Amino acid sequence: MRRRYQVAAITAALAFGTGLAAGTASADAHTQGITDTEVRIGAFGPFGGPVYLYGKLVMNGVEAVFDKVNAEGGVHGRNVVLVREDDNCKPEGAIAAVKKLAYDQKVFAIIGGACSNATLASVPELEKSGIPMVVNSAVADGITDPPKTNIYTTQLTSGVESRAQIDFALARGAKKMAVVRMTDAWAMARYNPLIAYAEEKGIEFVENLELGVDANDATPQALKLKGAGVDAVIMILYPKPGAVLIRDSLKIGSNPLWVGQTAINDFVAFEKQVGVPDALTNFVTITATAYQPGDPEVKEWTDRVKALFPNDELSVFNMNGIGSAQVLVEALRKAGRDLTRDGFLAAMGDMDMEVDVYAGPIKCQAGVSHQCNQHPGWLALEDGKVVKLQ
Amino acid sequence: MEYLSYLVATGISTGALYALVALGIVVIYKATQVVNFAHGEMFMLGGFFAFTFHVMLGWPYLPSFALAVALAFAVGIAVDRIAFRPLMQRQTLVSVLLVMIGLSFVLKGVARWLWGGKGDYLTFPPLISPEPLSFAGIMVMSQQLVVLGAACAVMIVFALFFKLTRAGRFMQATADNQKAAKLVGLRTDRVYMYTFGVGSAVAAAAAVLMAPLTLLYPDIGFMLFIKAFAAAVLGGLTSIPGAVVGGFLIGIIEQLAAGYLHTAMQEVAAFIVIMIVMIFIPTGLFGLGRVRKV
Repeated sequence: MRRRYQVAAITAALAFGTGLAAGTASADAHTQGITDTEVRIGAFGPFGGPVYLYGKLVMNGVEAVFDKVNAEGGVHGRNVVLVREDDNCKPEGAIAAVKKLAYDQKVFAIIGGACSNATLASVPELEKSGIPMVVNSAVADGITDPPKTNIYTTQLTSGVESRAQIDFALARGAKKMAVVRMTDAWAMARYNPLIAYAEEKGIEFVENLELGVDANDATPQALKLKGAGVDAVIMILYPKPGAVLIRDSLKIGSNPLWVGQTAINDFVAFEKQVGVPDALTNFVTITATAYQPGDPEVKEWTDRVKALFPNDELSVFNMNGIGSAQVLVEALRKAGRDLTRDGFLAAMGDMDMEVDVYAGPIKCQAGVSHQCNQHPGWLALEDGKVVKLQ
Repeated sequence: MEYLSYLVATGISTGALYALVALGIVVIYKATQVVNFAHGEMFMLGGFFAFTFHVMLGWPYLPSFALAVALAFAVGIAVDRIAFRPLMQRQTLVSVLLVMIGLSFVLKGVARWLWGGKGDYLTFPPLISPEPLSFAGIMVMSQQLVVLGAACAVMIVFALFFKLTRAGRFMQATADNQKAAKLVGLRTDRVYMYTFGVGSAVAAAAAVLMAPLTLLYPDIGFMLFIKAFAAAVLGGLTSIPGAVVGGFLIGIIEQLAAGYLHTAMQEVAAFIVIMIVMIFIPTGLFGLGRVRKV
């Protein structure tokens, strides 16, 4: 009998201790990464490899915002500190990066996610940890659709862009549409919703062509497009293959409506990459950012990025980081001095703000729409100048 | 017919690029029996050197070209001194190959660090007008004609170099029989060093000529290396004319495969060629003859 009491007492003590520990851990997790003087924000994305631009350069933009905020006294007296993790643009790298940031570095929230596949793979770990996440580069719809309690994105998602590309071509009266695409994860995240939306609209592409990311020539593709007499080409391409395709089409006297997306939204650079005078008269593209590098409206950010990272020229990648960081900082402000995860997520879930660099407002609605950027801007060239289309 | 003409003409101009890169691979392989897996990165570095001088510093084209080639020559020599020679002295060929692969990653990292913040794909001004030209009824980019001419010129210069100069003969002697070359007093280590330098210099020259068409980015080297390697294998890996012919053939095969089969074939045609050549003609089109059992 006595022995039974002893066992019960030990069991109860263990249960109480475990519960206390769990409760303490839970309470800690809600305020981890916060001290009286700083709040630590994690970031993950590739530092190297072919897509480092979506990681390193975006993080540089984030850091430029944090640097400005800190110079102005921080958020409620706390400096915002960025902790970077390299995920190598790989799923296993992103999962490891989230674990390291959440449990080892113990950051308060994460901003980043560069590669769609990698970020998608990290979603279960993000949900498990409960750590707030603001996605700023990865475009796959599945990251935030259906909505996850702690994950929001300030980037235009692939579905939003693909639908916008078709809608734009239709609005311009296109009858014969073609798609030219790469075949990597980034492209497929756009291609699948594009095909689904085309079917929904009853559109059949007259040509469905592939072009490699490192292509130095696109004559076969250009000949097929010309042969099919297409009047609009949906481009799911990075700038290099995009430039090669337009160049080689112009070479054979073909110049349909080219409909790009956010990967090709540095118009000035793209025109140089095509390398043929007046090459972009029929080219339009989606932009997440309201401005082009070099525009006077973003001079402050040009100077700030240059001061912090002398090797960088302000790019749209930097600007994506800047926009998302401004949203994160605003959520920190709205959550108040007594910062917790719940407070921060409540602020994110009620976000409605204009950002220095995005084409439209950022509006989030907790549990309903965590894809906070629904406003693709359109850029075109008119009289040699980049203009925003209405 | 016009369709086919365009594909063949474009294949020839794209093939010129592969031929130029393949030349460097063959020159190094011929002398050292080592495939330089970092050769694509020599191309990349040459392009970025020229970009630095011509675009960033605003120097004229020709001095920029010459300096880029000279610097690439120096990098090639450094590769020999740092990576190749110490390992070859221990006769560890596999280690050399691994080091070359590692070196390619290091060079890409260095390029990202030095030039990576300036945009995704850097542009390089063309040597002549960017407008397309009509050539025998086919429209071609004028820069492609420049590359085609340069590839032919480099091939001729190389042929003359190996036939008429002492250095070229030393290189050939070393390539033919390293031990015999040593026995007759040739300093083979020095021959290797200059071979790496010359190979890198050719890659740099190709990069400066091609940069207006290929654009510049740190990862440009790998895919070019693969295509050029396929060209070199097709040509026989030890034959300089073979590298050039192989380059043109790969360029044309790619175009025809994409034009008549499927556009997805454009990227994989070179790999299929490597497989077929390895299976059916392992010595390549211009390689050493089949070994005969006696």
